[in-house]
Parts: sequence; C-alpha cells; structure tokens
Amino acid sequence: MAEETWKNYKEKKHFKPSPLKGIRVLEVCTLVLGPAGPGYLAKMGAEVIKCEIPPMGDTSREMLPFGYFFRGQAPGFVPINLNKYWLGLDLHRTEAQEVFRELAVRSDIIEDNLRPGVMDSWNVGYRQIKEIKPDIIYISKTGFGHWGQYAEENRPSNDGAAQAFSGYAWMSSFPGQPPLKNRLFVCDSYGALMGEVPVLAALHYRERTGKGQFIELSQSENIMRAMSWVWPYQQITGKVAMPAGNRDVSICPADTFLCADDTFVAIAAPAPEEFRGLCTAMGRPELADAPRFKDHLTRLQEENATEILKIIADWARTKTSEEVEELAEKHDFAASHVYTVKDVVEDKHFRERDFMTEVDDPLLGQYLEYEFPVMLSKTPPKVKWSVRPVGFDNEYIMVHLLGKSEDEIKHLYDCGALGKWADVEGRRPPPGWDGKAGLILARDREGKE
Amino acid sequence: METEQPWPDWVRERDDPRIAHTKPEALDDITVLDLSYKSFAGCYCSSLLAEFGAEVLRIEPPQGDFIRTCTPYGMLYKGEGLNYLTEGRNKFHISLDLKKPEGREILKGLVGQADVLIETYRPGVMDDWGIGYEQLGEINPRLIFASITGYGQFGSMSRSRIPDYDNITQARSAIQYTTGEVIPEGKSYDECPWAVPTKAGPWIGWVQPGTFMAVGILAALYWRGMTGEGQALDVATVEAYASFDDYAALWYQGSGVIAERFGSLTTGAWLYCFAPTKDGAVFLGGIRLEMWQAFADMIGKWDEWGAASWTTQVTFTEKEQQLKWAPLIFAETRKYTNKELVSMSVEYAKKGRLAPITPVVAPVCSPEETMKDANWLERGIFTPVKDPVYGELVVAQAQHKMTETPIRTKWVCRPVGYDNEHVYLRYMGFGPSKLKKLKGAGII
Repeated sequence: MAEETWKNYKEKKHFKPSPLKGIRVLEVCTLVLGPAGPGYLAKMGAEVIKCEIPPMGDTSREMLPFGYFFRGQAPGFVPINLNKYWLGLDLHRTEAQEVFRELAVRSDIIEDNLRPGVMDSWNVGYRQIKEIKPDIIYISKTGFGHWGQYAEENRPSNDGAAQAFSGYAWMSSFPGQPPLKNRLFVCDSYGALMGEVPVLAALHYRERTGKGQFIELSQSENIMRAMSWVWPYQQITGKVAMPAGNRDVSICPADTFLCADDTFVAIAAPAPEEFRGLCTAMGRPELADAPRFKDHLTRLQEENATEILKIIADWARTKTSEEVEELAEKHDFAASHVYTVKDVVEDKHFRERDFMTEVDDPLLGQYLEYEFPVMLSKTPPKVKWSVRPVGFDNEYIMVHLLGKSEDEIKHLYDCGALGKWADVEGRRPPPGWDGKAGLILARDREGKE
Repeated sequence: METEQPWPDWVRERDDPRIAHTKPEALDDITVLDLSYKSFAGCYCSSLLAEFGAEVLRIEPPQGDFIRTCTPYGMLYKGEGLNYLTEGRNKFHISLDLKKPEGREILKGLVGQADVLIETYRPGVMDDWGIGYEQLGEINPRLIFASITGYGQFGSMSRSRIPDYDNITQARSAIQYTTGEVIPEGKSYDECPWAVPTKAGPWIGWVQPGTFMAVGILAALYWRGMTGEGQALDVATVEAYASFDDYAALWYQGSGVIAERFGSLTTGAWLYCFAPTKDGAVFLGGIRLEMWQAFADMIGKWDEWGAASWTTQVTFTEKEQQLKWAPLIFAETRKYTNKELVSMSVEYAKKGRLAPITPVVAPVCSPEETMKDANWLERGIFTPVKDPVYGELVVAQAQHKMTETPIRTKWVCRPVGYDNEHVYLRYMGFGPSKLKKLKGAGII
C-alpha cells in the first residue's frame, strides 16, 4: 500500500517528470495496431511525431460507432492518439522522404504498420534509415510479419483476421454456437502493447551498447502468445481445445451468472478460503468439505465443475447482483456485476486514482480519458492533450525541430510534400474552432490578435 | 547499401527465431524477483522479461503457488498444471516462506541484489510484513517495486478484500458487457443462455495487465538509467483491461449512449464482421471504401449493388445499414467454403477491377487448425521446447522477432524450489547444511 508513496498521487502528478522524457518517436501508422503503440509511449512522456498522408490521414479517423462523431472526431481514433504531434507528410514525394530522413536522424524509435516493403519503396525502410542513423530502433507491425507464406502473398489483415487466424475467437464463444468476434480490437491493441516490450528492451540494449535494431511483430502471433494452456493441451492430448462460454475451465468456480434482477454477475472462488466463503454465503457450508469439491484439482474435473456451477447458478438466480457483491466482500470471494461503460466512466474509485482523467483540451474541450494504466510513483504517465487534424503541427515541427525557413516550408507545401487536413468531418478541426486554439507556432500568420 | 538482397530474405537472415540463441540478450544485466501469488498476471509479466534474458528468481511459498492448480479440467502433465507450465519459462524457481520473519530477512538479502520486484499480494500485506516498497526502498533505493492487484494501491476500493481473477476483471472492464450475441426478439436469457455478455476465453484479464506492467518496468528502468532512482509501480488489472476500450467512453460522454452487444458485427466499422460459409465462418474486412467495393466486386455484386456509385464509408457504419447489408452478404458467403473465399481474395489482389486492393478474408480457425498452419510453424511460433524436466513441449513463443536481441525460450518450467541449491548458494552463500536447516524450519 505504501501510503506515503501514493499520497496525493493524483494532485502531484503533473508536477513530476515523465519516465520517457527525451525519447523521440516517429510514427507512420494507421488504424489501431500501429498508432496505439506510440500512443502508450506518448502517455509516458516520449515525444511522438505522427506522420499522416495529407489530406485524409489515418483511416481510423472514420472509426465511428454507428456513424457518431465526438466533437467532430471519430471516437475510435481518439484514445490511442493522445499527446502526439501531427505532421502531414506525403511520403510518396521525394522532398517528403528527405524531411522524414532529417527527422529520423533526430529520433530514437520509428514505428510503422504498413505492409512489408512500403517503407522501403519510399526510401525510409530500416536498411535506408540505419545508414544515416545506425542506432535507430525500428518496429514494423503487420498482419503476418515480414516473411513466410502469408507475408509473401502480401495479404492485407485486420484485428478481426487475427482473432480468426489465432483461434482466439473460437476459444471465446459458447459451445455449439458460431464463433464470436470479440467487440474489442483486441489483437490490435494487445499487439501494439506487446510491441512496446521489445521496443523498450531494445532501448535498454541501446543504452548499454549503442546498437539499434529492427523488430517485426505479427497481429496474430502476439495473441497466440497470450493463449497459454491451449497449445500444450492440444499437443499432449491430441484433441482440439474447446470453447466454454463464460466458464473458466482452469478455475473453479469461475463463471458469469444470471441474477434475479436479470443482471449478470461474475463470480470466482477457487482458493480454499474463497470457496468456503462462497459456500457459506450460499448457506451451504457443507459443500466446502464435500470430497468432490474440497480440492481445487478435483473440483475442476468436468462432472464436479458442472455440478457446482449449477448449484451456484440456481442460487444466483435468487439474488440481485448487488446482493452477491455484498456477500463477496463479506466472505472473501470474488464477484462483480458486469459493468457498462457508464459504470466505468462514473466509477468513484477510478476517478480517485485519476485512471479516468480529465482532459482540458484547447480543441476538444473538457472530457474524461483513460490514463495509462501503470502508475509510476516518481514519474507518472499523464494524458495532456487530445487529437489534432492532419498536419496541425507542421510549422512547429519544421521550425522548432528542423530549423526550416519560411521559404523552405512554403516550397514543401507547394510541391505537395507537406499538407494539411481535408475539409471533411474527422479530418478538419472541431466545429467552432477559432483558427488558433491549440496551434503552437503560426498562430498569427495574418497578423491578427 | 545492401539493397540488392530482397527485403524479406534480408530480414529473415537476421531475425529467424532458429538463430535466436546465437545473439545477445537485451536484459541479461537485470535481476528480477517475482513474488507473485495466485496471479497469472505476475507470472506472465516476469516471463516477458525472462524471454529477454533477465535473471528471474521466481519465489514461491514452500507448498507452491496456488496458480499451479489452475489448469483446464484439473489436468496435470508430469505433475504440473498446463497454464503454469507455459509461464515458468527461463525462470529459476526457489521457495521461501514470507510469513516467517526469517524468510523475510532472506528476501531482504535478495532485494539488495535485485533490480526489479514483482508482487501481487493485497495492498498492505507486504507493508505489514515489513517488506513493502517504503521498507525495501531503504535497503535498495534503485529497486523498481511493481505491484499488480485487482484495484490498485490507493483509492477507496484498494481496501477491498476481493481477490483478483481474470473473469472478474473482464466483467468489471465494461468489455464483456459489449461482447456477445444479441438476444433474438421475444426470447429470454433462460431460452438463449449463449446470447449474454460474453468474456474472452483466454486469460486476457491477466496477461494484458501483466504486459502493461512489463512495459512500465522497462520505462522505469530507462528512467533509472538516467537518474539512478528506483520507484513503485501500480497496476490495477481492471484498469489495464478497461483502457483497451476503443470508443465506448467517448460515445457515452458525447451522447449518453451505452454501448451494447452487436454480435459478430462491429458498431465502429464496416465492412468488419464474421460471416457464415459453407463449412464454417470467415472474417471479412473492408473498412476503406475501396476495400468494401472490392468485396462487392469479388462476389459478383458490383453492378447489382451499384458499388461504383458509393462515395463514403461513413453511412454504412450506421446500425440500420449494417442490419440491412449483413444478411445480403451472408447469403453470398454461404455459397463458398472458407478456402474458396480466401483464394478469391488473394486472386482479386492480382486480377480484380480494383487490384491490388482486395478485401481482408480470413478463416475462423480452431486452435488446432492454427497449430497446424504451415505459416505459423515456419515462423517459429509453435517450435517445441526441449525441457530437461518436462520433455518436448509446445508453448507459444517468438511472438516478435528482432535482428539483434531476439527473445528465446530456454526451458518451460520448473517444479517448486527446483533451483534452491544453486540460487541460495550464489546469492546468499547458503551451502547444503544451512539449506537443510532452513528446510527443516519450513522457511524454504
């Protein structure tokens, strides 16, 4: 608990440094698998420059739940693109490639998620960049990696394809029902997260040796790594692993139950004291000592598990989920009603911890975001600002970082190397933007106050 | 520049997992103490560091970690649970009773020589034992002290006695609520027990927070390299998983809409769904207009559906449109097998009207099909590990590939206390007679 350590964490957060201070990341990413990774680093204080092809930019600027825009931005685009700087750079053009190479020399990490070979065709692939920046850490995240049959066929991929290919969706369905796709872009988000493990390990290695490297990650392979028992089980038994709905076949009891008020509650109580607590709460303390339930390994066997889960299901149907939660607190087993997004956004505990954190953004205004979910006592990650239109920070990056003159910048616009947003929703600034808010440089180009 | 060699060959020559053992390891200067108990999140987190060569000392009570008994259908293999078997990799396993004062003194000795400590006890337990962050930080100010719990180290729920399990995290994240089949009109849950909020099968509510913590630890190591300072890290499993929500929080805040289940369609994208086929199901992806048009063309509906006149993808994501178009598409996909649809998409990329643009088509595989797929076998994901204790075993590995410091799996697991002799001799100078005494006293 370390009370002194965590006292006033929320209040002091912005008074403390960020762990990745001084690290610069160049991102040529689209959708979720690509941008989410640098998004994690940006919350930890890395300076992330997001390069988009103007004027349309990232495809996830169209990720809209049933066509809904949040203050002019696609809700699916926002959470993974916070704290970034926005560069509209058309890498098809030689002049843009030169700008990219100038930025690369000043960067620590490059991340892309285009199909293999595309960055090379733009003269900014790993082999080309390492000539000018030998210690660069360069990660490419794709559907199938950079070699092997599917990569050679140049197949496109999506999160849903990875859920399908890996067996993840199959294992997440009810028996006898068609396979179910998870609502999350879980292979994307998880792949992006997994990608930062080698990136930061490579950074540690670079600090020790001065060497950079190339990293590749496949959307499907990373989620297979997360599926634990499934692979040795199939190897050892020669049988296919089967889905089990909400029942956890490795923990007993652990399942989701329908309650008296037609709500759902998840319960888990495998350890001896937890199982005893649950049996007591159900008014059936004798079950905890029954030979078929007493020991966890015995209880997990199909016949015994089915029996105890049925007993719990019948009991839960007579209680509200709130009653079950209260009994769990009292008897030391685990239970939670199935939260809606409203429950999460408005959760008091999440607010106290600043996990749901208030953003006060010059373009999007005030709202709540998810904080990076690792709290670091001396170097807290923090959400600072929200998303920007395509090319919003061009001037800042060109002047502040590359020291370009107004004439040079004008030339880059004229030849199409630099560009800004298209005048369509999701690309342009939110409605009511005053033409200045959020801009770092060039606020007063027309000499107005 | 070495551009003559084709890129895929150049990369593979340098990052094929088959040559990983010939390369250096990124974290072989780091020592990690993993005290996690009853938590797969902790085990997974330390695995991710051990794969990079960190020396991980896995510390369990003398009777072993309860998590070893969490195994499908109660199945053991050579005495070991199948989940634990996959995440003991590369770790040295020692036993130590932290409930005994002598055990805690030994831990302090190890802490003085360690860089990272991972623990998953309820908040306050380590402090009460005198080995919390503030106490151990006195011994080793460079220590990175990483705690993974259900609700975190502070905030009103941190006092909760509710233990941390995967299915609880999934339920509390709001992600289970929005995943699952929609209940058919006029039916009840009792009639359709499969049309309910549905969790993911794999332990994502544990492995994902464990991965977040690994990322946090590596960032803290970078900071320590700059300043010499250690610190405390706090992951609440439910926050980690809830943060994967992609659009529901903004949708709710902006419009008051609470995201609901939408089966294997996607509220936030079109074309993006599972579709039934003659022999199973495929995933279809075409979230850019051209890809959706290419799909219509690929199944011969270019003219009938007027695909040439479509100008924006946005309207197709609306609920009514999705419910109108989905059955039209499914009627077509049912005419083909998975294999046929996949090759139609590969062929379309070569010869189609919109080539090289083509829709994403992927077969929905059982994990058995996945494990037999030549593509993944070639990429080294399922290469068996030859383990001296457990024999030849398949665990997923090589999930990313690197040219300089690739991960590798040297061994898969160890029984409780298997490395006591070596580790205690090396770190604490305890020889056989001292160990015998400690064992007799139940401390190790």
